[in-house]
Amino acid sequence: MTRRLVLLICALAAAPVLAHITPPVLLVSDRDAVANLLAGSKRYFVREVRLTPAERQAIQKETGWSPEEDFYRFYIGRDDQQHDVGAVTFLTEYTIHGPVRVAVALAPDGTVKAAAVAEVSEETYPWVKSLIDRGFLASFAGRGAHASFASADGSSMPRFYGRIIGSLVQRAALLYEAGVLKRDHP
Amino acid sequence: MNGIYLSRLPLSAKVFCTLFLVGIGCGALAAFTQASTAVGISPSAVQESLAPDLPMAGMRHGEMSGEQEIDLGQLSREAKVWMRTPLLIQTSHTHLFGQTLIAGLLGLIFLFVPLREGPKALIVSLPFVGTLIDIGGMWATRFVSPSLSILVITGGTLFALGYVLIAAFSMHDLWLRKEAT
Repeated sequence: MTRRLVLLICALAAAPVLAHITPPVLLVSDRDAVANLLAGSKRYFVREVRLTPAERQAIQKETGWSPEEDFYRFYIGRDDQQHDVGAVTFLTEYTIHGPVRVAVALAPDGTVKAAAVAEVSEETYPWVKSLIDRGFLASFAGRGAHASFASADGSSMPRFYGRIIGSLVQRAALLYEAGVLKRDHP
Repeated sequence: MNGIYLSRLPLSAKVFCTLFLVGIGCGALAAFTQASTAVGISPSAVQESLAPDLPMAGMRHGEMSGEQEIDLGQLSREAKVWMRTPLLIQTSHTHLFGQTLIAGLLGLIFLFVPLREGPKALIVSLPFVGTLIDIGGMWATRFVSPSLSILVITGGTLFALGYVLIAAFSMHDLWLRKEAT
């Protein structure tokens, strides 16, 4: 009896305890987001940029957000003639309810082409879904890095996440402008 | 301990201890399921969630940009939420409090098991040490070396081993030990 009891408990708990992240809700994978947002591209490139202290400072001065990553990654789509179709970057904000990860597509002139929520936490999902369902993300199309990214209407939590998503989209446009556009066309 | 043993507790106290141990066991099972679905339970899975992202474009240290052609097949089709520093801080504080509290309550029950002091001290320390190695391993994986992800698995395993031993000895003492008359 004792042996059986010990075996049962061992079987139940012999595995490592490693449950630290709330499982993410995957709305669109990186691959699908890049393929959808850069539709029409024939070839794909990854461009990674490290911001200079001056570039970081300029972004922080304008938005209050300090870009702290070592580097930022853009997926660039090009057509048969090697012309840029656009670029996609993924940015994440860590809220108290878990991370929100957004894919932002930028046109070659730096304006927002489209945006999609890639991943959220289970807790955040209902609030973000209400934003997606009413086409909130489509409202960013055509805005430049220095446009107003006003928050969404609605009850407090969707409005809060609308502000977060809007801020992520603007950050993507600012990063593209600083790290790609201004370097390619100073 | 001081003449008080689990086997001598009144029925209500035995039921309390038993249900607590069972509840924590179910919690450990649920945590394991969540870990295996959200992160994975191998050192490489932990590494993928915690280690800093490496450049894809062959950009070396000090270079300001790099570009490389890729195939879309190189991009992931799976969820890609990393544990970046803010989430690591959040996770550390909740789990250090939570797991230490669980280790403390497990240890409190286990203190009333009649066992030699050496093994008892060793077993009672396992969940505490496991917690510290587990959470410390996450920081080490992120900031020292990705290869230290093994510490997260080791810490979790020590915690689980501590729970199993404490639960087994305690259950045995609660329900199976015959009191000498």
